[in-house]
Amino acid sequence: MDKRMILHEKKKTSLSDKIFIVLNTVFMILFVVITLYPVLNTLVLAFNNGTDSLRGGLYLWPRKWTLKNFNTVLHKNNLLIGAYITVLRTVFGTLTALAANALLAYIVSRKRFLFKKELSLFWVITMYVNGGMIPTFLLYKGLGLTNSFMVYIIPGMIGAFYMLVIRTYMGGIPDSLEESAQLDGAGEMTIFIRIISPLCKPVYATVALFIAVGHWNSWFDAMLYNRMSTSLTTLQYELMKLLSSVMNQSTSIQAMKDSATAVTPTSVRAAATILTMLPIVSLYPFLQRYFVAGLTIGGVKE
Amino acid sequence: MKRKQLTAAFMVLTMAAATMMGCAKDAQTSKTTTDGGKEIREYTAFFAVPGNEINDDNEIQQMIAEITGAKVKETWLTGQTAEEAVGTLIAGGEYPDFICGSDGTAQLYDAGALVALDDYLDDYPNIKNFFTEEEWDKLRQSDGHIYWIPQFNNSYGENIETTHNDEAFWIQTRVLKWAGYPKITTMDEYFDLIERYNEANPTMEDGTANIPYTILCDDWRYFCLENAPLFLDGYANDGSCIVDPKTEKVIDYNMTPTAKRYFQKLNEEFHKGIVDPESFTQIYDEYIAKLSTGRVLGMIDQWWNFAYTVNDALKQQGLEDQGCNYVPLPITIEKGVQNNWHTSGDTLNVGSGLSISVDCKDVEGALQFVNDLLSEEVIRLRHWGVKDVDYLVGDDGLFYRTDEMRMEAANTAYKASHLCTYSYFPTYTGMSQDGINACKPEIQPLEFLSGLPKNVQECLEAYGCKTYVDMIGTNPIPGPWYPIYSFVGTMTTATEGGTAWTKIGELKHEYLPKVVMATDFEEAWTEYQEVYNGCNPQSFLDEVQAEVDRRIEVSKQSAQ
Amino acid sequence: MSIAVSGKVKTKMPTDLKGKEKNRKITWKEVKKQKVLLFLSSLFVLYGIIFCYLPLVGWLMAFQNYKPKEGFFHSQFIGLSKFVQLFSDDLFIRVIRNTLAMGAINLVATFLTAIIFAILLNEIKSKKGKKVVQTISYLPHFLSWIIVTGILHDALSGTGIVNDLLVRFHLLKEPINFFAYPKYFWGIVAFANVWKETGWNAIIYLSAITGIDPSLYEAAAIDGAGRWGRIKHITLPGIKPTIIILLLMNIGNVLNAGFEVQYLLGNGLVKSVSQTIDIYVLKWGISQGDYSLGTAAGIFKSMVSIILIVVANQMAKRAGEERLF
Repeated sequence: MDKRMILHEKKKTSLSDKIFIVLNTVFMILFVVITLYPVLNTLVLAFNNGTDSLRGGLYLWPRKWTLKNFNTVLHKNNLLIGAYITVLRTVFGTLTALAANALLAYIVSRKRFLFKKELSLFWVITMYVNGGMIPTFLLYKGLGLTNSFMVYIIPGMIGAFYMLVIRTYMGGIPDSLEESAQLDGAGEMTIFIRIISPLCKPVYATVALFIAVGHWNSWFDAMLYNRMSTSLTTLQYELMKLLSSVMNQSTSIQAMKDSATAVTPTSVRAAATILTMLPIVSLYPFLQRYFVAGLTIGGVKE
Repeated sequence: MKRKQLTAAFMVLTMAAATMMGCAKDAQTSKTTTDGGKEIREYTAFFAVPGNEINDDNEIQQMIAEITGAKVKETWLTGQTAEEAVGTLIAGGEYPDFICGSDGTAQLYDAGALVALDDYLDDYPNIKNFFTEEEWDKLRQSDGHIYWIPQFNNSYGENIETTHNDEAFWIQTRVLKWAGYPKITTMDEYFDLIERYNEANPTMEDGTANIPYTILCDDWRYFCLENAPLFLDGYANDGSCIVDPKTEKVIDYNMTPTAKRYFQKLNEEFHKGIVDPESFTQIYDEYIAKLSTGRVLGMIDQWWNFAYTVNDALKQQGLEDQGCNYVPLPITIEKGVQNNWHTSGDTLNVGSGLSISVDCKDVEGALQFVNDLLSEEVIRLRHWGVKDVDYLVGDDGLFYRTDEMRMEAANTAYKASHLCTYSYFPTYTGMSQDGINACKPEIQPLEFLSGLPKNVQECLEAYGCKTYVDMIGTNPIPGPWYPIYSFVGTMTTATEGGTAWTKIGELKHEYLPKVVMATDFEEAWTEYQEVYNGCNPQSFLDEVQAEVDRRIEVSKQSAQ
Repeated sequence: MSIAVSGKVKTKMPTDLKGKEKNRKITWKEVKKQKVLLFLSSLFVLYGIIFCYLPLVGWLMAFQNYKPKEGFFHSQFIGLSKFVQLFSDDLFIRVIRNTLAMGAINLVATFLTAIIFAILLNEIKSKKGKKVVQTISYLPHFLSWIIVTGILHDALSGTGIVNDLLVRFHLLKEPINFFAYPKYFWGIVAFANVWKETGWNAIIYLSAITGIDPSLYEAAAIDGAGRWGRIKHITLPGIKPTIIILLLMNIGNVLNAGFEVQYLLGNGLVKSVSQTIDIYVLKWGISQGDYSLGTAAGIFKSMVSIILIVVANQMAKRAGEERLF
């Protein structure tokens, strides 16, 4: 909301508005507390000695500080390769998927396009049907996508959900804009790139965030298709492996004698969660800028 | 103009593709690498169990590679079941050199993914001697060939056992100490003791209330609730049913009079407040956390399911001094029933093992590696580590470790960078070839003793025992079918019996907690009985019986 | 922007427009002009056929006694017997009920909370406050279910904070073990979903709200519209297309009520209400190696989803609302 409006408001804040503001603030504070607490608790677990955590009673502050949990995570073999591949796939995967989804959304948002309806339906169906793991695996293998980086990029390029979200947003853009462009002799691609896309920044930012998070968190494809290729592992896959190996901790008596390890699956999981959450969470404020940008464009346009 | 823009739109895609293709295809394993002039063969392995991945530059792996001339890159199961993982491998038709299918072994065999090993065995003495002829025969599949080598429970020399690794009624030493270390042998005595102790000492030293008895019932770990009747009647751990050694007949333990008595007892104790009310809703993590506080006086469990984490936590909190560690008791339903909680000797699990896949280009080399892994020198490296770094040798030739060495051996990072046990390759346990040291540190008697908490030591002494195993005694393997769970594990819904078995499992998960909590036990039991019989349990028992008979037959044949 | 035109006008406008467009047939001349679009769509269709439709060959598995060794083309054909097996199993029927119930409850709960949260958040004046609250709100999305259910288990156990508070404020005499009673289970699952995903789901609505033309708010303020009035007449109509599209999509997802939450929170005592189709497939299809049964259940799910979607889409069409296709 811009400043003029706030000024405007101050003049006539009615009683009901005041009540609203108070209630809303209380609600938001409550919401923040309920939401934040478990995240905070995870943070505490991540910094607390693993075996000590088993005693329970940990709420807001670690009892026995340790960096061991993080150490265990960071010392994971291949973690760097995993992080590198994950960053690569997140960047490339998000860019390509966003471009593809936006273009497709643009096509089906053309009101006069011949196969508008059929094309939408074609993609909507893909959200609800899939052939299952084995046929998919065979297909990727046939296409030479297994043991390759492209398996992270190509198969997931179009997501009907994202396409529809963008299409809906595009549907809200007044036709008059394109019509005048068309009269100027602009082709479809020019309209898409020059006129529609700049207006779609907020929804592009949103969808990019969704896609990026998907890439960042994925590990199943790494396991399924690139199991034997260490150089193509992903961050989350390495963390999954770490967790299952901590859970599987030695079947020997030394574990019980040793008081120094003090990592448990729970504490390692907490540390891994915090570590993977950080980058994406810190990415958000940057994307938020585009949300605001969308607002200004909307304002200028009228 | 338009074409130009079109190109522009797809630029991103093609550019990305082009840049990435470069670093895409370098993943496949190279078969040889040179290291210090010496050629080292490299193999890949996949084990369909969760496991510890080691670093690429692992030190002991490198030493083993120098001795054997080979090295294996191991991968483990993550986030899938064994069958799923094996299913994908089969679907793709691409296998690593070594493979252990675990629960999916039968599928691998069915898919023709494995190399028959029997023709090769004679050339590899260490492998050949790993089993007796009779044992090898047990491993023959329906086509008469051997496809996998079970890796575990194979003693080289004398079988050494210090810990009762399996299921038992466990009790805290403080309870036994309080009562003056009485002889407890029946279920009624066990609960009676817990009740009396809890009445006299309702809390721990710091005032937190004791939890007299808890039951873990989370998913597959519900054995802590369900299979006690098998042991209470004095039978060995065949897993999913009783096989009577005298008649060689399969008996269902779910509906025996003992089962009813056991669940009735739990029901009574539940209403007395002895059984933890959260028993049936707690998840594994909560259960472990509960035991770690030292509040729980007793429970049924398998040692490996709780001891490592819990004992560690008890030590850290100084709860050992309060007598919070657990020891097993030889509980049966009546006095005079011989308990059979612990079976000594090597249990051969014929259901799975290490295999070589049809994709392995160098079967001889792979087998040579397995053979070399079984040599005394390499076994020592795998389990004890490097002399003077991971263990010391006393003047009497006995191996021992300092506290720091033990600590290092349990450190996750150290394990990954230094230790390499090749844990899913065949290995020996028990006494090693030198006749004085155990194959593995954890069964070396002195090593075991020096790590034992004081309260446990005291307790063992009071009963005249040296190890956990002495507390409940040991029994020979009941017969050639043992353990029949190695067969039940491979059953699927493809057969009638397998379907019944799966249904029964589902049903027991739901009804057993209800039976224990019911206000009217008789009524609940009758209902359970009815639904149970509706699952056609006989078809399950028949299929197991057939397998028992088959195994007995095989063993007779090879004895001739 | 057109979508932001106040509620009353909007309900009339699009129907008229659409009606007109429909009547006007797309002319050959127009089609000729669309050759770029047509070319591009053919690429997308090709891609879709390869990556989304080709694997549907796998559905053959449901009609075969599928054995990995034999593959799709040599496994024994058994017709519909896997479907018969599914629907003659009482357990499967119960599982459908659970899935539908939880799917519907979750849909309503997560949907409403996300919209309400987005609108209320938008009403916060302080830019900083808004940013902070929003960043916090989607943090739980990144916690894995295993962590969330762990915390929930702690909070709802007999000695957990919830029982503690309830007893302290005399709302309860004795602590309740919430996980031991089937009647609480669906509620707990819904709460878990709401807690984990509200902030995340709200992102889309917030982005839609930013697309609303601020001048509309100004105009409304000048007209003396109160806060409720503005929410009702500007914000809600402004994000209505987004709401409807998401609703339509999610209706198709009702049968995907989930797997992990129920699996992690469930126990023997609440089994009768906790098992979903996905858990059923995992237990009876995948763990038992009966891929054919699992695929049959998957086909059933897909069919139901598509029927639901088509029906919902028709309803939206009739009401003159945004549609999926």
